Amino acid sequence: MMIIMKTEATEVDLAGAIAMVENNGLRAHIVRGAERNVIGVVGDIRQIDPAVITLMPGVDNVTRISRPYKLASREFQKENTVFNVNGVKVGSDEILIIAGPCSVESREQLLETAQAVREAGAHALRGGAFKPRTSPYAFQGMGESGLEILAEARELTGMPIVTEVMAPDQVEMVAKYADVLQIGARNMQNFNLLHAVGKTQRAVLLKRGMAATVEDLLMAAEYVISNGNRRIMLCERGIRTFETSTRNTTDINAVPVLKSQTHLPVFLDPSHSTGKWEYVLPIARAAVAGGADGLIIEVHPHPEQATSDGAQSLKPEKFAEMVRQVRAIAEAMGRTVPQHEVAL
Amino acid sequence: MMVIMRANASEAEVANVVAYVEKNGLNAHLSRGAERTVIGVVGDIRRVSKETFELMDGVDSVMRISRPYKITSREFQPEKTIFNVNGVKVGSDEILIIAGPCSVESREQMLEIAQAVKEAGGHALRGGAFKPRTSPYAFQGMGEAGLEILAEARELTGLPVVTEVMAPEQVPLVAKYADVLQIGARNMQNYNLLHAVGKTDKVILLKRGMSATAEELLMAAEYVLSDGNRRVILCERGIRTFETATRNTTDINAIPVLQAQTHLPVILDPSHSTGKWEYVLPIARAAIAAGADGLIVEVHPHPEEAVSDGAQSLKPEKFAQMVKQIRAVAEAVERKVK
Repeated sequence: MMIIMKTEATEVDLAGAIAMVENNGLRAHIVRGAERNVIGVVGDIRQIDPAVITLMPGVDNVTRISRPYKLASREFQKENTVFNVNGVKVGSDEILIIAGPCSVESREQLLETAQAVREAGAHALRGGAFKPRTSPYAFQGMGESGLEILAEARELTGMPIVTEVMAPDQVEMVAKYADVLQIGARNMQNFNLLHAVGKTQRAVLLKRGMAATVEDLLMAAEYVISNGNRRIMLCERGIRTFETSTRNTTDINAVPVLKSQTHLPVFLDPSHSTGKWEYVLPIARAAVAGGADGLIIEVHPHPEQATSDGAQSLKPEKFAEMVRQVRAIAEAMGRTVPQHEVAL
Repeated sequence: MMVIMRANASEAEVANVVAYVEKNGLNAHLSRGAERTVIGVVGDIRRVSKETFELMDGVDSVMRISRPYKITSREFQPEKTIFNVNGVKVGSDEILIIAGPCSVESREQMLEIAQAVKEAGGHALRGGAFKPRTSPYAFQGMGEAGLEILAEARELTGLPVVTEVMAPEQVPLVAKYADVLQIGARNMQNYNLLHAVGKTDKVILLKRGMSATAEELLMAAEYVLSDGNRRVILCERGIRTFETATRNTTDINAIPVLQAQTHLPVILDPSHSTGKWEYVLPIARAAIAAGADGLIVEVHPHPEEAVSDGAQSLKPEKFAQMVKQIRAVAEAVERKVK
């Protein structure tokens, strides 16, 4: 951390800042410039709050040098974290494709979609039983009966289940049915929830908040890892910007940025990051070309009847086409989309 | 255009809006709902302004239905605009790769890069002689002397020259040397400049402003097209967001959005849209995978000595690697890099 003093800071101000550093068991290196002085702070700076230091007399601003996350960083672990989801080694050169409806709406709808996405080449099934909807009047999900339908779909297709958990007190129940616990964008900084999923044995799909920086996302992952759960998939799902022609703006830069900052696998959700089905295929291709380890896609056999996210859902035929296109891109990069023998 | 009245709007207020619509030679279609009345305005609505309606008594909001640009739209011309740049049919299945330094710094630097770009497979040469720099104290470009060096580089390599023009009165001078006139992001809405380049017969590379929507970019293109110049290449170069890990945020969505809305070729500038050379390759691949018609990339043999944009410049070896990767991705989407 660097403490940059104001040009008019006095020697007393400087001594005060140095004393604060040393009182925290850290070392202060003073760099005297022509215009102003800078204090380099050396040691484990996690115990001091940069915002508090800026309140001290004579301090202009404070710049952090080291990263605030540790276990999630590439510095801590150089090689990719690789773990198995339905035979796909996530984080290796194998691309994982998760697909399914936004919400579990009925037994018929989910079983039909599950079989369709399995046939088209998906490796895991998504479907929300607990839904964080912007409006309290909108469909809130089927709850535990939705989870039972998801478990039935797993029986039928062999695909593991990815489903969202919204509150710490639901974690135990959702973990009973789900293979992968999804933390939605709106809950990325629900720290109690992050602690709770960090204590489970389930893989976690952690979605980036719509106004969260990449660093905020990595700090959220650090909550989960610091509780002992290392199987985390990070997911870019579009951020909020001034652009209105799409629901969100896909931050494609986040894919290579995350790959360089962390060893965790990085996913992209082109359904949410565009909000329109006709843009899902090009952005899914872009994600894999940008280096993503997997995709999560909304698929619905009858989008016009979907209770949520119909506009961004692919029909099964279109999803099958996407899988073919993504496989071609993966191969161009020396990666693979593992094939599943279709035997239902 | 749809004029949505307030729930408590009076009959007189509705009648007033209808009268204004009809006075302007347009038709008003009334739809009376349980809560409120909506007035559909039908006809060539370019003769009325959305703001006028918004200020009228009893009006809640106004929604535009048709697009404000015309010649630029896919509705006007369903098939892609295709034109030739150095043998590459831009807008077809052929991918155009433009590369070179941010600024022309010296004859030696420019000629060295031009040859490296050509050897690595670039189709056109970029290089700024007039530079729009954030700081007035930063290097502002070599001016006409830089243009002369660019022309010499073209002689030497056969690569056409892409260079920025910053002001309407500079257009004749820059057009004398350049093959493609670049309008920089900061000038996307410099309407006098757009008119001036629209009157030339040069290809225009129009960069998206850093806080411009896709629609605003298309409106800027409409300025150029409406002056008679139809050879416009649109360029996404990253937008301003809250994210600080990169210089800008690549709006990759803009590639398929623009491809759906307009017939003009669309390219991406991964150097500016990331700001860091190590992210240029993955984002260049992503652009082609998403359907971009080309790339413009900053290349410098000694980035640590560059007067501008060193951090985002690829060394020639890295650029050659990028071209190889782009060729593989292009083939996966059934396109080609000549």
